[in-house]
Amino acid sequence: MTALAHGVGSRTDLPIPIGFALYGAGAAILISFAVLLLFWRTPHLGGVASGRPLPRGLQRVVDGAVFRRGLQAVALAGAVLVTVVAVAGPRDTAANLAPWVLYVTFWVGLVPASLLLGPVWRIANPLRLLHRVLRVVLPAPPGALRLPALGLWPAAVSLLAFLWLELVHPSRSEPATVAVFLVGYAVVHLALAAWFGEEWFARGEGFEVYSALVARLSPWGRRDDGRLVLRSPMSNALATPEMPGLPAVVVVLLGSTAFDGMSRTVFWQTGPGAANDIPSGTLGLAVMVALVAGLYLLGTRLSGRLADQPESIQPRRYAATVIPIVLGYTVAHYFSLLVLDGQTTWILASNPFRSPGVDLFGTYGNVVELTAVGPDAIALVQVGAIIAGHVLGVTLAHERALLSARRARASDQLPLVIVMVLFTIGGLGLLFGF
Amino acid sequence: MPVAPTRRRRALAGLAVAAVCLLPGCAGRAPVPTSESSGSSSAAPPTDAASRTAQGQRIEVQVAGDQVTGDTGRVTVAAGTQVTLVITSDVADEAHLHGYDIEKELTPGEPAEMTFDATIPGVFEVELHEAGTVLLTLQVS
Repeated sequence: MTALAHGVGSRTDLPIPIGFALYGAGAAILISFAVLLLFWRTPHLGGVASGRPLPRGLQRVVDGAVFRRGLQAVALAGAVLVTVVAVAGPRDTAANLAPWVLYVTFWVGLVPASLLLGPVWRIANPLRLLHRVLRVVLPAPPGALRLPALGLWPAAVSLLAFLWLELVHPSRSEPATVAVFLVGYAVVHLALAAWFGEEWFARGEGFEVYSALVARLSPWGRRDDGRLVLRSPMSNALATPEMPGLPAVVVVLLGSTAFDGMSRTVFWQTGPGAANDIPSGTLGLAVMVALVAGLYLLGTRLSGRLADQPESIQPRRYAATVIPIVLGYTVAHYFSLLVLDGQTTWILASNPFRSPGVDLFGTYGNVVELTAVGPDAIALVQVGAIIAGHVLGVTLAHERALLSARRARASDQLPLVIVMVLFTIGGLGLLFGF
Repeated sequence: MPVAPTRRRRALAGLAVAAVCLLPGCAGRAPVPTSESSGSSSAAPPTDAASRTAQGQRIEVQVAGDQVTGDTGRVTVAAGTQVTLVITSDVADEAHLHGYDIEKELTPGEPAEMTFDATIPGVFEVELHEAGTVLLTLQVS
């Protein structure tokens, strides 16, 4: 069984109405200029030292070993169960829990979970628990000193590998493929963590970095003195460390979602992607990531040149301001997958091995309700998410420019704003299915 | 929103594409209107390839070797229409309409029919299970 575009699923969204696309594009352009010309002229948001501290007792629990190892053990048990189901469960994708958990409930669900609760996968990452166990017999990590220089580049590679599997590989939805991926992913990252040390997970494990990145738009942050704080998501986003490789992570996420959108269009399905094979998919994914990367580098560097800022630092400096745009794209493309096809997980989890008479949660007899959310509501969420992401992104970039130069001119910010407008209009165009 | 006449819709679509194609690297290719089905066969008639009858809409595809002809590509159907999907294959296989989750055994040379009410909006694949070929995508709106 193959699936349209993303890892697994029975349906994709209808093209959004042309009116939605045009009004959305108009709104994006208008709002951008309003932000540039009318918004505050001096830095406005709190920095890394801002935020209202959470009670110390709560922080002790959340940062405590018992809480973290406990959640990691629960996540490990879940991951082992899913892997066993992938290996030994029903061979038909429609009846096997594993692809639905990996591509829908986990990968898509990680976004709302991180947005509401903070970097959940950093806390519950089961690979961290396995690494702790292995560390008893392992020598000191030989490569630990070389890790900081790599920045977040390893995470960009890790995410790109998963996204290639999810969006390109023809047998991505087969339970056997999911089993190979899960085991392979764990082995590779445990080996790299053995070499680079536990810090590897925060820099190279794609899911953890993704969760932490989305959590930058949650109200939960960590102050520069280590205290857990409640603060405005916008301040939280701007407090993202400007690590090397951060732009690569953001660009990979945005480019891959754009490819997912393109692969749903008639243009792609009857044109360059008609073969629906590895070469065409790989090329399409590479082109979309390269296109996003090229535009982003152009916009940030040009803005830097106009403002007399060192150009090479610009992409890293503004990467966090693109996170809301990434999030907008993600919600627009995967919201319906989570609420509609995501129901499958809860049905199959009730009887993972299709054993007669087993119905753990009483949901096994349910059928997926594909009309639970209507096409109008889906289209509104899609356009709303893209526009909201755009507004936040442009506003963050404005603030970032003011932080770099107190008297930053609006015209200096124009190149990056134009690139953001292009991302947004491009995103709307993909939803319209041009 | 009110349903605009097809021609105006396409003009607007063209405008939107023009706007979007400000993106450098945007493939310089005319949009394929969603109401048309285009197939590997040059004989596939445009737009109303899927014939609309008083009872509903009939969609026909033929599979011969690696070639799929007839109403392939994106076929649009108004929500609520009764659809009859006729598939003729030269090899034994099983056709699957995703979403509606209808499966039909195919016997070589014999037209197999699926009849259903298109009540679930969205875009759905019709796929051959064995060969993995996507015969068409059904757009119910």
